[in-house]
Amino acid sequence: MKHGDSLYRRLLTWLLLPALILAGLMVVQAWLEARRTADRAFDRLLEAASLAIAEQVQWQDDRLWLDLPPAALEMLATDAEERVFYSLVDREGRFITGNAELPGDSRSSRESGDTLFFRNLEWQGLALRQGVRRSQLEDWRQSEPYEVRVAHSREGRDALARELLRGNLAYILVMAALTVTVLLLAIRAALAPLTRLRRAIRARDPRTLAPLELPLPRELAELRETLNDLLARMRRVRANQERFIGDASHQLRTPLAGLSAHAELALRHDDPQRWRDALVAMQATSARTARLAMQLLSLTRLDNPEYAPEFDELDLAAVARQAVRDHWAHCHRDGIDLGVEDPGSPATIRGVTWQLDEALGNLIDNARRYGARRITVRARAQPPALEVEDDGPGIPESRHLLVLRPFHRGQDDGEGSGLGLAIVDGIARTHGARLRLGEGTGGRGLIVSLTFPREDP
Amino acid sequence: MMPTALKRLTSALLLALWSLAASGEETLHLHAESGTGQTPLVIGAALDLHQARPLLEDFHRRHPHLDITYRNLTTLELHQRFLDAPDAADVVLSSAMPWQYRLANDGHAQPLDSDIAHAWPAWARWRHELFAFTFEPIVMVVHRDFTERFGELESHGDLLERLADHPRALAGRVVTYDPQRSGAGYTYAIEESRLSPRYWDLVAVLGQARTALAETTGEMLEGLASGRYLVGYNLLGSYVRDAVADHPELTIVVPEDYALVVQRLAFIPRQAPHPEAARLFLDYLLGETGQRTIAERTQLGAVHPDLEGPGTAAALREKLGDALRPIALGPGLLATLDDLKREALLTRWQREFDREGPAFR
Repeated sequence: MKHGDSLYRRLLTWLLLPALILAGLMVVQAWLEARRTADRAFDRLLEAASLAIAEQVQWQDDRLWLDLPPAALEMLATDAEERVFYSLVDREGRFITGNAELPGDSRSSRESGDTLFFRNLEWQGLALRQGVRRSQLEDWRQSEPYEVRVAHSREGRDALARELLRGNLAYILVMAALTVTVLLLAIRAALAPLTRLRRAIRARDPRTLAPLELPLPRELAELRETLNDLLARMRRVRANQERFIGDASHQLRTPLAGLSAHAELALRHDDPQRWRDALVAMQATSARTARLAMQLLSLTRLDNPEYAPEFDELDLAAVARQAVRDHWAHCHRDGIDLGVEDPGSPATIRGVTWQLDEALGNLIDNARRYGARRITVRARAQPPALEVEDDGPGIPESRHLLVLRPFHRGQDDGEGSGLGLAIVDGIARTHGARLRLGEGTGGRGLIVSLTFPREDP
Repeated sequence: MMPTALKRLTSALLLALWSLAASGEETLHLHAESGTGQTPLVIGAALDLHQARPLLEDFHRRHPHLDITYRNLTTLELHQRFLDAPDAADVVLSSAMPWQYRLANDGHAQPLDSDIAHAWPAWARWRHELFAFTFEPIVMVVHRDFTERFGELESHGDLLERLADHPRALAGRVVTYDPQRSGAGYTYAIEESRLSPRYWDLVAVLGQARTALAETTGEMLEGLASGRYLVGYNLLGSYVRDAVADHPELTIVVPEDYALVVQRLAFIPRQAPHPEAARLFLDYLLGETGQRTIAERTQLGAVHPDLEGPGTAAALREKLGDALRPIALGPGLLATLDDLKREALLTRWQREFDREGPAFR
C-alpha cells in the first residue's frame, strides 16, 4: 500500500493545511497589529516632543524664534537610542532651524481639522517615523502659522512590535500545538472502528463464512453489510459445491461398486464363458463411468467463473450439420430418424465449436435415451439459435428448472448420468445464450433451444 | 528667518571658535614593518600628539603590520574635512561632542560589533556607533596667592561666595572662556545652565568682577602662570595638568559640588576605507590594554569599568561621587548646535554678565 493512499494522511493533510494557512494569516495579522500598537505608543513621543518644541516658539525681532528645549529631543530617544531629527519651518515652508531639513506632510489640515500628522518616511536612506505639528502664534496684531517637524528612527518601535509579536506568537503557537494534537487524536478516534473491523476480519477462522457481528458507525456498517452479503453468497456457493461433490462421488461409487460385484461374481466360477460375460458387463460399466467422469470434468470447467474460453467466428448451420453427421450412424442403428434443418443463410456467431458440439451431442443423446423416434437438429439465423426437437415423452413445464440441475434425471433407467442438461446450461451461460425448454410441434415431445445474442456489427 | 547657507556659515563659525588644540596640522606616521602585508590606517583626530603618541606607539607595537597615519587637527578642521571627504579617515576622534554626535545621528558612523564594544558601559556609548573613551573633568585652576588671601576654593559655591564678597579685590583677576568666541566655552555654558539655575548667579558675579574672557586654554594658562589671573574657571583638566606640573604655584581644583566631564568620542565612518584596521584600533582603544595606557601614560582618564587607580574614571568617582556630571551622550547634544538656541543662550549670558550687581552700588 502506498503511503499517499493512507486515509489517516489524507484526513491529516486536508485538516492541517487549512489550519496552518489560518495560523499563517494569524501571524501576519499579529505582526500588523503589533506594528500598529507600537506606532500608536511611540507616536505619543512625537506628539509630546513636537508640543514641547511648539510651546517654545515665539515671535521675536520680527521673526520666528525658538529656544529649543533639549528635553524635547531627549524625549524622542528611548532605550533603543533612536536617531532624532527636528526642524521648524515658517508659513512658506522655509527652514528656520533644526538639525535636518525634513520634508513636510502633504495632507491638508483644512478638511480633517487635524493639526498633527504621523507617517513613515524614507529619508536619506533612513527609515523614519515623522510627526508634523501645525500651529500658529497668536499675537495682538497678526497670527503666524508654523510647522514643527520631528522624526526618529524606528528601532524602538520595531523592538516593541517584536516584543508584542513574541507574546502573540507564543499564544498562536500554543493554539496551533493544541489544534494539531486534537486533530491527531480526533482522526485516530474516528478511524478506530476501521482498525476494529480489520482486526475482527483478521481474527476470524479462515474456514468460517459466518456473518460479521460487531457494532460500527453508519459508514462502516454499510461496508459490513456488503461484506456479509458476499459471505452469504459464498455460503450458498459452497453448499452447492458440497452437494455437487457429494452427488458426484455417489454417482461414481455406484458403477464402481457394480464393477467390483461383477468381478467378484466371475471369480467364483471357473467357466470361461462366465468370465467373458462378466468382462463384457464390466467393459460397458467402465465406459459409462468414463463418460460420467468426462461430463463431470466439463461441468466443473464450465462452472468455474475464472474460465474464459477463446471465441471464434463460427456458422451455426455448419455446427448442426456436423452434429448430425457425428450421431447419424448411432441413431440409425437404433432406428431413430435424425435430421437437420438449415436456415439457408449463414448464422454467424462468436463461440467455441467443441462446446457447441458437446451441447448438441448431449441433447441428441438425451432425446435418444428417453425414447424419441425422430430427432431434428435446427439452426436459425434470425435470431441466431440452435434447436433440438424430438417426439419423445417431453418434460412437463413444472420440472423445466429442476432438470437443469446436475444429477437430476427425468426417469430412473440407470443409463443416464443426469448431467447432460446441466452441461448444456453451462455452455449456454458461457456463450451468453438463453436456454429454453418447450413443447414440440403438435404438443408432443420437447424442443430445447439455445438463442444466442445477436452479434454486434 | 535665516537661509540655510547663512546657517551653515554660522555653524562653521561656531566650530571655528572651538579651539582647544593648537591650530595647524600635526601628522604622525608609524610605518608598517617591512615584509608583512601592509594595511593602512588613517586616524583623523582632535587630540594632541603628545597625548596620543603613547597610545599609537603601543597599538603599533601590537599590530606592526598596520601603516598608521595620524592627523591631529583642530575640531573645526577635522569636522570640515570629514564632511568634505567622508571616505578619507578610518577613525575619527574628537572632543567636540555635539558635532561627533550629530555626525553619528545623521548616519555617518558604522556600528562596531565586537565583544569589547558590547561590554562598553552604556552611558559611554551611543548605539555601538559612537564611543566615549576618555574621562576629562572641567576644572578650576587656582593660584597660590588666591588661597593665601581668600582661603581654599573647592566648589562653584565657594567661587560664587568669594566673588560676591570680594568683587573689587578680584576684579579682573578671574579668567574663563568667552562663550561668544569659544565653542568649548559655549558648550560648558549650555551644559552648566542645564545643570543648575544658580549658574546664572555665577555668571552675574563673574560679570560684576569684570572677569577676563579668553579664547584659548593657552591664553588662560599663560595669564595664570604669570600671576595676572588668580583663578581660571572651566579649564579642561587634561590640558592643564602638564602646565600645572611646571608651575607649583598653580593647583587644580575639581569642584566638589559638581564637575562637568567631557569625553572624547570616537567612531568609524560608514565609508571608512579600511574598516578592519579601524575596528582593530577601536577595540584596542576600548580594550583594557588601551585604556590602561590612557590611565598610565596620558592625562585623558580611562573609562574602562575594570580599571582602578590614578588616571581612571573610577578613581575620580571615588573622590567626587555624584558630583561628576559627564555630558550626557544623547539627543540633547543636538540642541547645543541649534543656531537659535545658541543665540538665545548667548543673549541671556551676556545679559547676566553685564548686569550691574548691588555690590557695586
